[in-house]
Amino acid sequence: MANKLRLPRMIREIASSLLKSPFTREYPKVKVAVPEGFRGRHILYPERCISCGLCERDCPANAIKLVETADKRLPVFHLDLCIFCYQCADSCPRSAIEPSTLFEMSSTKKEELILKPKALISSYKNLLEGDDKK
Amino acid sequence: MTSVEEAVSLLKDKLGSKVIECKTPKPRRAYVLMKSGYHRDAISLLLETFDETGVSTITGTDLGSEIELNYHIRCRGPVVTIKNKVPKEKPQIMTITDLIPGAALYEREVFDLLGVVFQGHPDLKRLILSDDWPEGSYPLRKDWDPQILEKNAHNLGGQSSIVNGGEVEGATSSVVKVIVGPQHPALHEPERFSFKIDGEVVVDVEPRLGYVHRGIEKAAERLMFFQDVHLVERICGICNAAHTICFSQAVESIGNIEIPPKARYLRTIIHELNRIHSHLLLLGVTGFELGYEPLFQYVWRDREPVLDIIEMITGNRLLTAFNTIGGVRRDLKPDIHEKIKKTMNKLKKQMRFYKNIIEEDPSLRLRTRGVGILKPSSAKKLCVVGPVARGSGISMDIRRDDAYAAYDEIPFNVITYEDCDSWARLMVRAEEIVESIDIINYVLDHVPGGPYRVKVPRKQPEGEAVSRVEAPRGELLHYVKSDGSAYPYRVKVRSPTLANIISFREIIRGSYVADIPAALISLDPCFSCTDRMAFVDVNNDRKWHWSLNDIKRLKKRS
Amino acid sequence: MPIDLVFFLRVLIFPGFAFLLAFSLFCDWFERKVRARMQNRMGPSYTGPIGLLQPIADYIKLLTKEDIIPAQASRLLFTVAPVLALSLFVFTFYYIPIDGLNIIPNSSFEGDLILVLVLITIAEFTMFLSGWSSTNPYSGIGATRVLTQFLGYDIPLIVFAIGPAFLSGSLSMATIAKKQTVPFVALTPWTFILFLITLQAELGKDPFDIPHAETEIVAGYVTEFSGRKLAFIEIAKDIQVVLGAALVTVLFLGGPYGPVLLGPSAIWYTFWFIVKVLAVIFLLEYVGSVAARLRIDQVVKANWRLMMPISLLALALTIVCEPLLSPLVG
Repeated sequence: MANKLRLPRMIREIASSLLKSPFTREYPKVKVAVPEGFRGRHILYPERCISCGLCERDCPANAIKLVETADKRLPVFHLDLCIFCYQCADSCPRSAIEPSTLFEMSSTKKEELILKPKALISSYKNLLEGDDKK
Repeated sequence: MTSVEEAVSLLKDKLGSKVIECKTPKPRRAYVLMKSGYHRDAISLLLETFDETGVSTITGTDLGSEIELNYHIRCRGPVVTIKNKVPKEKPQIMTITDLIPGAALYEREVFDLLGVVFQGHPDLKRLILSDDWPEGSYPLRKDWDPQILEKNAHNLGGQSSIVNGGEVEGATSSVVKVIVGPQHPALHEPERFSFKIDGEVVVDVEPRLGYVHRGIEKAAERLMFFQDVHLVERICGICNAAHTICFSQAVESIGNIEIPPKARYLRTIIHELNRIHSHLLLLGVTGFELGYEPLFQYVWRDREPVLDIIEMITGNRLLTAFNTIGGVRRDLKPDIHEKIKKTMNKLKKQMRFYKNIIEEDPSLRLRTRGVGILKPSSAKKLCVVGPVARGSGISMDIRRDDAYAAYDEIPFNVITYEDCDSWARLMVRAEEIVESIDIINYVLDHVPGGPYRVKVPRKQPEGEAVSRVEAPRGELLHYVKSDGSAYPYRVKVRSPTLANIISFREIIRGSYVADIPAALISLDPCFSCTDRMAFVDVNNDRKWHWSLNDIKRLKKRS
Repeated sequence: MPIDLVFFLRVLIFPGFAFLLAFSLFCDWFERKVRARMQNRMGPSYTGPIGLLQPIADYIKLLTKEDIIPAQASRLLFTVAPVLALSLFVFTFYYIPIDGLNIIPNSSFEGDLILVLVLITIAEFTMFLSGWSSTNPYSGIGATRVLTQFLGYDIPLIVFAIGPAFLSGSLSMATIAKKQTVPFVALTPWTFILFLITLQAELGKDPFDIPHAETEIVAGYVTEFSGRKLAFIEIAKDIQVVLGAALVTVLFLGGPYGPVLLGPSAIWYTFWFIVKVLAVIFLLEYVGSVAARLRIDQVVKANWRLMMPISLLALALTIVCEPLLSPLVG
């Protein structure tokens, strides 16, 4: 208790905090811009994919499966298993997988967390048009 | 400083006949295979001759018919690994806890997971696996069958695994045993502490680890080397960069892969950013534990720009996924340099304010000064690492002693304090933040050009490597052994908190019960890192750590 | 006072029970907002405009939770103690002039200051009993700590409270409030500051909030409570804070009396009362934010070695200065 006489620095800091506006932002009214390069939801460029299956083999979480579609075999991303390490993007010899900045992926339905090729194609197109909805 | 040649020649001179084989594949690393039972002589010779030695960890590897025990002895810079083999049918070996008490937990770990009995160990019982684990079932052995858990399912969840928080025993004697169970609202990570309290003084404490055990070491044997980098990253969210750097370095050492200079510098940047945000986290949590909420909120507010920088560089705030075997995965563009520098300099100014608070705030001093004293002699015997050691005056820093990444080309200071109490440990961390900021600024000015990654084959040659980094909490050690395939044969992780938790007993014995928060938080325990070993399908019941202070003292008074 | 409609309106609605409840919920919001702004964050913002409905939302949530009585707890005490605590705190308010008159007008008497202080102590004791009856070691410790701290600091509190009584020459709260043409905070500022600090310990707020410290004993004496009973205890705690602030207001800031502009004086008196209570709560929060939590042995030492002697000195100082100050007292 000996130092009671000296005014702690904290007293001034608290007073100044009262006069500042709060640091926290009112999400979801206010959204923060996410930097480019953020590892969000996957984008697949199906025209580049050569169905080699390296993404499926190299995924540490076993979250990618190749499925048959109309033209060729394409990867399906299981976002509930994915750890967003993007080893798939590293392993892909044709750079057909890229991260997007979409991060609001929570859902109450499991189907929405499995990115199937049709959804991937459309999400790629949507992102080009600046429509960042799920 | 000792060099590895000195150590090896000493061993060969004094114990030449007992040495079977001796390898020095890299500078500062030696692997000495001793005849069965002569490990004690080698270790005591090393401990006595050179100062600043300690046991980093003990690794057990199942080699089929034998179990190989690696005693990793650090001689400040170099690491000399004394190997010893015991037959699998009768795995027994003499303990080394009488030579150096700090090896106690490591021997228990090997006993728990591989079944090696250490004769003469004062307290050989389970460390990581749960109390109801089937007897005789050792997960890290190659012939372990997970089906044994299914067969024993009816036995699991027995009485011993249920802990009542705050159970009071021995109401008639003056010493009361209080168990602070897994679930406690103030704990950040689960573990169990059994306190023996007499009045207001803590007589003894026994931490029980293993509640966040996920079986990472065993799981790492089933993934390829480059996939393991992602697995190892998730051992701990806070020190993830340290784990990936350590593991990548181990594999690069096995495969004789030389990473480009730019990769070394970029690794340093991420490593230091990791350290800054981890120390800031601890500063805030200290404030919270001591009831000083404004400090907590301010520090975490100032931590946000650091996380934003990490997000800008790596794509995610915490789990960076930046390192890989052969270098780093992304480049750092020069236009980001300015942003990083701005944030760092702003943080440096704020750190002056926080250092002022820790040094001078009366209530904080009341709670942390003279609390949790760890004498330097105890610190050396218990082989503590990191800020805990540096707060007791032991100058130990892997970045300087066993330089990795770009640290051999960067000037920086190692911060030590002589006060040995919680306050000193806090100050060490606060000043290390400022050092890290300086390192980052230096690195940004000196990043060389060139490639940031080299291509690495999937298969690694046969070999083994010990890799150490200075994680925010201290010395982090990875031991990787490869058998020539694309999958590692053995991965061993020894996180700094395991080295430091053994000192908790020393710190708190004889202290007031009410000092437990300040003492424990100054160790910066990260139990996610500590409990990661062996393959177990454990249900992660997150419990809350910590203690009941004063329970007993007031119960006695009333 | 005849027991008619006005009586019931005053007791139940304004300035009685409903007003007190609403006011203490508002003060809870205010406290949390102020604390948040001191920590540079937002505070309640989402429920209702600027988060005003947050305390109500919290209580509604509590009411929907399961109400469990531990098997070994003493059923009667466990159920009754929260309600008793709440009732006692509310009853204490009957002696505080809120809109210029007490809730039951003309019920104040000489010595009701002592009654108020005694009631606060008894109410705190019922809180202790609630923890003690839970037969949970955490609750037991929390309860004992509460009592140790509260009873320890109660003595200096009473000694400080004598100061304003002495200056105004009366032990009636209403009279003490009326006599403050110059508020006593200006006449005896030392008593005011020390009273605030002691009140901080009585209310169990930082840096004396060991009884509520989560990081140490789970939740202290409220560990076993859930659902309705927890709601009662939480409201009781909130009202206790308002009560403490109201006590300070009456003793040092002139109670509800202040400049009356146009309109009925009762509205202005209520307005000033509210403003002053909020100001005191702000000060309590400020004092609370500045320091870390003290250890129980430090709290007890501070009480007996510092607070007690200082309180007697402060009282002596007040008595000595009284002849100089008496012309200023209304």
